This record gives sequence, structure tokens and C-alpha cells, in this order.
Amino acid sequence: MASQLAAPTALVDARALIKRFGGIRAVDGISLAVQPGELVGLIGPNGSGKTTLINLMSGALVPDGGTIRVGGVVMNGKAAHVFAGHGVARTFQIPRLFRRMTVLENLLAPALTRKSAHGHGTIALRAAEVLTFLRLSHLAHGEARALSGGQQKLLELGRAMMLEPRVFLLDEPFAGVHPKLLGELVERIAELSRRGYTIVLVDHNLDAVRGVVRRLVVMARGRQIADGAPDEVLRSPDVIDAYTGA
Amino acid sequence: MPRSPLQIWWLVPIVAALALPPLLNGYWLHVLSVSWYYAILAASWALLAGYAGQFSFAHMAFAAIGGYASGLLAVDLHLPVPLGILCGIAAAGIVGAAIGWLCLRMRGPYLSLFTLAFALIFQLMLIAEYQFTRGSLGLSVPEIFAGRSDTPYYYTGFVLLLVSLSAMSFLLRSRVGIFLRALREDEDAAEACGIDTALYKILIFTVTSAIAGLAGGFYGHFVGILTPNLVTIPEMGLVVAMAVVGGVESLPGAVVGAVFVYVLSEVLRDTGQMRFVVLGLLIMLTQRYAQNGLWTLALGRGGRFWRRPPPRAVAPEAAAPAVERETNVG
Repeated sequence: MASQLAAPTALVDARALIKRFGGIRAVDGISLAVQPGELVGLIGPNGSGKTTLINLMSGALVPDGGTIRVGGVVMNGKAAHVFAGHGVARTFQIPRLFRRMTVLENLLAPALTRKSAHGHGTIALRAAEVLTFLRLSHLAHGEARALSGGQQKLLELGRAMMLEPRVFLLDEPFAGVHPKLLGELVERIAELSRRGYTIVLVDHNLDAVRGVVRRLVVMARGRQIADGAPDEVLRSPDVIDAYTGA
Repeated sequence: MPRSPLQIWWLVPIVAALALPPLLNGYWLHVLSVSWYYAILAASWALLAGYAGQFSFAHMAFAAIGGYASGLLAVDLHLPVPLGILCGIAAAGIVGAAIGWLCLRMRGPYLSLFTLAFALIFQLMLIAEYQFTRGSLGLSVPEIFAGRSDTPYYYTGFVLLLVSLSAMSFLLRSRVGIFLRALREDEDAAEACGIDTALYKILIFTVTSAIAGLAGGFYGHFVGILTPNLVTIPEMGLVVAMAVVGGVESLPGAVVGAVFVYVLSEVLRDTGQMRFVVLGLLIMLTQRYAQNGLWTLALGRGGRFWRRPPPRAVAPEAAAPAVERETNVG
């Protein structure tokens, strides 16, 4: 299972990325190319560098080595809001909502940053669509901090949608979500994929991840150890070793 | 578009304030005129700290920059007072932008300590640069109006307060208002949403510092003397207390808090040091029982009749006005 080579059309193209924290290489030479419309699962044991990779690919961290291209544009050293402006939307492992703002305001904030935003009416219409899509319409004027954990994950997904992004980087969207809401969240992500959005999905919930992705990338100790179809990847001895610690 | 009851309600205190001077003696006219100065400072600090989450202790330093710049220009270059005040606003805004830029990577207590250190250094500079500022003796500056009546200052201060509030409300009702609150809530998340947090941090420091500079300019030419005591920690604490008591996340709350605290401190003046005990208790009780301030408490308890009920769900046609309502400044 050789790593997929970056095709020239890759929407997000990370090459030989390195990130060090003191003496630790959290990301150690990873290359990951995501094609338009792909739904890629990114898994790995705790401390394998998944979130660091997401942070690098969204501009939250600056790589110590390697390059990141979004839509062919080199993004190394750009601030996170510039990544967002280039269509990279992300969610966080632990939801980071604007807690004392309403659900609606949480959705308005990213939309208002868009150069294409034409007036409050259009944005409000889009927010209403997103709320309906996420089935959160009845909570629009409540404060975000009053939402349940699962609803917060949904709202964070909605906030990312409001950027009208080219790619979603979803960091553990299923973590801590009630099983009933989990199915809804999986279905919303699958629906986004069916609509043609490009998604990178990081999670520990293998059943949920393999249920929606068609490509699975596995990381361990900051490196990529597998990349391919989910069933094939999960049978790989390297992946089994990484998860069992054998 | 029809005016909401809330907007019409605002005319009541404005008309009352305009009609008040003939009913007041000279002492209380002076007290209220000074309270407009504090109200501008408290409201602009509420915008900086309450809305944007930048808990700065340099606000009085910016007021002093405005006051001293205007005063020195009037004394040394004989610049007309209004022009001097405009220069003071610009000076405070420029220094505010520089402080905002320097504080870009600072959050919470680090930002507070940095701005506190700046204020203390600035105060020491005012004392040390005696040949320019006359140090602790104070700089005598020309007054805006001839004559001994405080009435013109009362109205000038009130108009400046209304102008400042209008400018700040305009900012908050624009998309900048939502960006500032997002910045307060979570800078990293705001960045991930595409908000240029560095830009808006510098912007809010610039705007609020310029407004503090305006207040300082007005105050200096009103009382006729500027001293380094303008930048002391108790003076900054008083402005913070005013905003906190009124409601730090509300411009009208901060204004009400400023007038209330300043008038109360004058009412209690005969009690000597006990008035500070009373004010301290007031702050403690407010923080314990009404963290959003007395203004929000008053709206919650007595002001529901002018509040529109929240819609149950967002319909496209209902959502557009909701955008404006959600960015309210009250």
C-alpha cells in the first residue's frame, strides 16, 4: 500500500510536513493529497499526530518543514483566517463555539467574513438552510453554551458550512456524541460528501469512519503507515501493530 | 421601517438630560458634567473589554494622552481648543493602535499586566518630563468656554457622549460587532472562521483609545488643569467599577453605571472614606448577584415590556431582522 502520489489536481496537497514540539516530532514527514470531492478518513492511535496535521493544514500551526498547497497556492506561514479565506473550514476536537453568542450568531460570524457575502438577507437565508440541514432551527436564538455536546458538534459543522468551503477538516466530530445523535452526525457528513464537498475526517470511532469514507489514511508516531481502501487498510499488519502495540 | 419601542424609549433619558440643567444647582451641574466624561470612558472601556474581551488597564493613559496632547498644543502652539482635541484624539488613536499591535499575541492576564505597565510608565513620564508637562504640579490648559457657568460643559459633554455612543453602536451593529464578540469568545475559533483577529484587535484598540482621548481632551479643557493623577490605578479602577456595576457587556449599562457610581460617590462624600467601602460592597454584590450588571438586571426584571419575544425558529424572512437584533448594543 504505497502512499498515493499527489495528483496535480489535488485540492489540499501537504508534502513532507514536519512539526516539532521541543524534541518531539509530532508530524514527521507526512504527505497527504486530497482530491476534490474525496472523503478521506484519518485515523491513528492517541499521539499519532492527527490533530497536529489538521492544525498544520488549517493554518493553526506553522510547519517546520514541507509545504502545504490549497488549490495550488502555497500556504506555508499564512494565518488561519487566510486558510479559511481559501476555503479551508475546520472543526475542533473539543467544540470551540462562541459560547455566549446565539446559535444563529455562531453561523453568521464566518459567513460575514466572505467577500461574496451580499447583505444580511442572503446570509440569513443561508443560515436558515444550514440550521434546517442540521435540524437545529428551533435553537437558533438560544446561546451556544446551552447546547448538548452532540448539538455543539453539529453547530460547529454548521459554522464550517457557512464558510462555503472547498474542504472540511473535521477533527473527531463523533467524540463524546450520544449514539442517537451520532447516526445523525454521520448522515449529515455523508450528505455533505454526496453534495460534492471535500472532507478529511479524523476520528477514533472506526465503525463510524469506515461507514462513510472510501479512503483511509493511518498515522502512527507522526508518520503515515497506510493509505487506501478502508477494508484493505484495516487488515494491514502495520495498522494492527500500531493499534495493538504489538 | 417603524421604530421599535426600545428605540423610542431612548428619547426619554435624552430629553430628560437635556432638560435637567435649569433644575440643578452649580454643584450638581458640575458633578453631572464630570459624569459624562466618566460615562464616555466607561462605555469605551466596555466596548474594549466587555465586547472584544481585551481587558486593558491602559484606558486612563489614553485619556491622558488625549488631554495632554490637546492641552500642550493649546498652551505651546496656541492651537484652537477644538483642533487640539482632534489632535488629541488622533494621538490617542495612534498610540492605541501601537499598543494593540504589541498586544497581538497576549491574552487575559498577560494583556492586563502589559497595559497596566504601559499606564504606569506613562504616568511616570508625565511626572518626569516636568519641562513639558509641569509634572505633579499639573498643566494649566485653557478652558473651552468663557465664563464660570458649567452649563455649556454639561451640554458639550452630553453631546460628546451621544456622539461616542452612536459611533460605537454603529460599529457594533455592523459585522464588526459580531467579529469582536467572536474574538472575545475564542480567538482560535474566530481565526478558523476567517476572522482576521489581528486586524480587529488593532482596530478596537484604536477606536476605544481615540474615544478615551476625546474624553481626556474634554475633561482637561473643562477642569482647566491636567495632572498625572489622571492615570492612577484607583482612577482606572473607578472606570472599571463603573462599567462592571452598570454592565460591562452593554454600552448603555456602562453609561448608567458611570453616572450612578459617580453621583453616588458624591452623595456619600460627607461619609469620608466610608463611601469607598459602600462602593466596594456595591461592586461585590453586583458581581455576586448580577454579573452582567445592574442595567441587565433592570432590563430582565422591569424591562420585559419593551422586549420582543424571540422567534421559535428561523424563517428566512424573519432571520434578516434577527441579524440586526442579535447584534444589539443593549
